[in-house]
Amino acid sequence: MTNIPTDLKYTKDHEWAKKEGDIVTVGITDFAQNSLGDIVYVELPSVGENLDKEATFGVVESIKSASDLFSPLSGEVTEVNEELSDSPDLLNQDAYSNWILKIKINDQSEFDSLLSASDYEPLCQE
Amino acid sequence: MKQTSLCNAHKELKAKMAEFSGYEMPIQYSGVKAEVQAVRNNVGVFDVSHMGEFFVEGKDAVKFVDHIITNDFQNAGLHKAVYSPLCREDGTTIDDLIVYKLKEDKVLICVNAANIEKDWNWISSLTSDFDLKLSNLSENYSLLAVQGPKSQEVLQSMGFQDLESFEYYSAKEFSVHSKDYIIARTGYTGEDGFEVFADHTTILNFWDELMKQGVTPCGLAARDVLRLEVCYPLYGHELSDQLTPLDAALKWTVKESKDRFIGKEALINLKSKFRLIKLSIEKGVPREGYDVLNEKHEVIGKVTSGTMSVTTGKGIALALIERQQFPENKVFKIQIRKNIVDANYHTKAFVTGGHK
Repeated sequence: MTNIPTDLKYTKDHEWAKKEGDIVTVGITDFAQNSLGDIVYVELPSVGENLDKEATFGVVESIKSASDLFSPLSGEVTEVNEELSDSPDLLNQDAYSNWILKIKINDQSEFDSLLSASDYEPLCQE
Repeated sequence: MKQTSLCNAHKELKAKMAEFSGYEMPIQYSGVKAEVQAVRNNVGVFDVSHMGEFFVEGKDAVKFVDHIITNDFQNAGLHKAVYSPLCREDGTTIDDLIVYKLKEDKVLICVNAANIEKDWNWISSLTSDFDLKLSNLSENYSLLAVQGPKSQEVLQSMGFQDLESFEYYSAKEFSVHSKDYIIARTGYTGEDGFEVFADHTTILNFWDELMKQGVTPCGLAARDVLRLEVCYPLYGHELSDQLTPLDAALKWTVKESKDRFIGKEALINLKSKFRLIKLSIEKGVPREGYDVLNEKHEVIGKVTSGTMSVTTGKGIALALIERQQFPENKVFKIQIRKNIVDANYHTKAFVTGGHK
């Protein structure tokens, strides 16, 4: 069974989001890391970059394939998880404690419209 | 989609399955890293039953095979295996394959799954001047590749005798517990190992026994990493209907000293259009189709195969470079999405396998 914490929001692209004030932390889900297999590289955006909702902001690569990461929200990148540059496999170990980036959001309603855990679960069928 | 006789066994092991050359094949089981490491350090097994088996039997069997391939088979000893391209008169490559001299009048040709029909049509059109019987037994044979430093030990414990004296790149017919096998000391990983050809039921039992012995089941994803680490070409990537063996750094398999063989005239006179090179990068993963650039950032070629090497931890690639544009200073870069990254040029394979 895939792990889907109920206190997070989700996207159909298998990413999670967590809001604290106007900062949203983003990562990939347990289902995503499991489908990808051994993750060997994460390409991150630069701090200060402005992202549009659903725009590509980076790439996660497994041995077999490269998958785009999509920004769940619009806003400015305030922090990226540099640890992933040297240890991309952290995402395989725990996809929820190992976040990918933090975004300062402009529009609260974008966060509210993300999927709840129960909405996301049906998207995790093999 | 076709299935191999082991399809259910793979599914029971929770393998990720995908279509490959028309077959539903296991891509990975526990994980690509663990599978690659099992083969480099211990022993793993691959179901490669999708590959094709042709048999040539009769007085002219060896002479015929020598005539259709570019490498030397006539002078290979009894039981020897030989890797060779199979070319048209114009030197372009139909397939690459391994031929096994099982007897002086019996040869096994093992071909790529995707090319079975093309190879069969070609080879069967060439037999008229030869005294032989050609048969396509691809549907009758299953094939397992047991690979890794512990593979001899595993086969010995299953009753296969005299493996110490069984040379790398040779093949023999075995009968063990009244089951018939063709065993070849060949593989696609660079490690010591055996390819085991037998009928479907025999292979099913053989697989079960390997699982009981704790041999790691390995999928095609690990197989691709393993072959790329030791820089073995893969048809459809480094070789194709448009390329000659000379383009893929396979001149060593084109034996101009042979009296005659199909493609000889073209291959003697042709200059290669490409150079196949080995590149690695420090961060990221080069992928098939990425552009290779020179110092001035001009496109001079393309990556034909790329992956993350499990053994070296680096992104590794084979790339075809236009011969005319090959840079004297050997400075290469790879375009990865919007980034241009420095690539290291290698003259030797990324990994030295431990085969005998």
